[in-house]
Amino acid sequence: MEKYLRMPIKEIIGKYPPVGTLLEEYQIGCVPCSVGTCLLADIVEIHNLSPEDEGALMAGISGIVYPGQAVALPAPRKRSPEMPRKISYSPPMKALVEEHRHIKRFLAVLPAVLDRFDARSEADRALVRDGLDFIRSYADRFHHAKEEDILFACFDPGLDILKAMREDHERGRAHVRAAGEALARCDGEGVTANLHGYAGVLAEHIRKEDEILYPWMDRNLSMRRVGELFARFLAVDERFAEDRKKYESFVGRLEDAYAEPISEVRR
Amino acid sequence: MSGCPGSRMMAFEKSDAPEGAVGSVPSQLRQWPIQLHLVSPAAPYFQGADVVLAADCVPFAMGDFHSTYLKGKGLAIACPKLDGGQEVYLEKIRGLFEDAKINTLTVVIMQVPCCRGLVGLALQALKESSRKVPVKAVIVSLQGEVLQEEWATEPAA
Repeated sequence: MEKYLRMPIKEIIGKYPPVGTLLEEYQIGCVPCSVGTCLLADIVEIHNLSPEDEGALMAGISGIVYPGQAVALPAPRKRSPEMPRKISYSPPMKALVEEHRHIKRFLAVLPAVLDRFDARSEADRALVRDGLDFIRSYADRFHHAKEEDILFACFDPGLDILKAMREDHERGRAHVRAAGEALARCDGEGVTANLHGYAGVLAEHIRKEDEILYPWMDRNLSMRRVGELFARFLAVDERFAEDRKKYESFVGRLEDAYAEPISEVRR
Repeated sequence: MSGCPGSRMMAFEKSDAPEGAVGSVPSQLRQWPIQLHLVSPAAPYFQGADVVLAADCVPFAMGDFHSTYLKGKGLAIACPKLDGGQEVYLEKIRGLFEDAKINTLTVVIMQVPCCRGLVGLALQALKESSRKVPVKAVIVSLQGEVLQEEWATEPAA
């Protein structure tokens, strides 16, 4: 089993597709991941399963990989009281989750904006230009820069989970670049296809960060690191304070103008 | 078995099981004084530090308080039930946030209800402080187990 614990998950799923289905049963969404280089052992740790679930998952994988054979399984990790199942974000992570909430509000109203988008209308093009500005400035320069320049720097840059997150950021940026180019040539289909693509990448990316990455990071950050992160995020917030208000109220105006508000992501 | 859980008499049966650490265990205390009335936020060991504010009973209940919570941190201790002058405590804790510019505060209390006052005091000080820092609240059982570790949020206005 040790051999598979040290193997990238994509390789395991490639060789044994039922492993992907089994992971889904434990809300471990490795199948659609575009990178898949995380090692099985790291995935089990990052998802912080209960010892019972971890034991059952490993037994299930062993049954798929070594059918009919008795295989020694690794002992489930012990979870201490300071590793609760309920997500309790540290203050710096809580700040990032709150920024996600505004980005999700934007993503929720985006389909309605795109449905009515007419590339021949200057007003519609201006609105999409503002939307691209929100993505580039708020989601990317403000929020993703906090993650990439400050948060991720607290961890080993070679970690596969961080590579996967950076790759998501790059895929999102590629969609936004393409949408901007399409907008410049009044190509409505290009704009909508790329912004829908962006929304798909970001929605899944945010889910992974909120539910998996941030809780895992919190479990591995010392108090010293948490305090330092909090102070550095505050410094960024202060520099970006005015713009932040502007972009968050832009989302509110968009919600007022379009769509039925999406109640679960709106304040 | 009625009355205040904070002062109810109890005896804990202990087996002759091994005690864990063998030989002398080094102290992780890096400062003196430690009582909240006596410490000064201007003390060098508080500047930019990660600080533990422990209820008086905690280090006696927890066998590994030094290694688990005290190591590498500044310390203040207080009893929210018996100590007088708690308005001074409020100012002291605010001084830790604003003047000592501490990095984080970990408030470690016992599970008895009267101990919650210490977390309340810390959060009130945070609310009144112009400078914000992460505050964590840790609740310890009468026999020294960590029952809960939560990031604390300031009380609503």
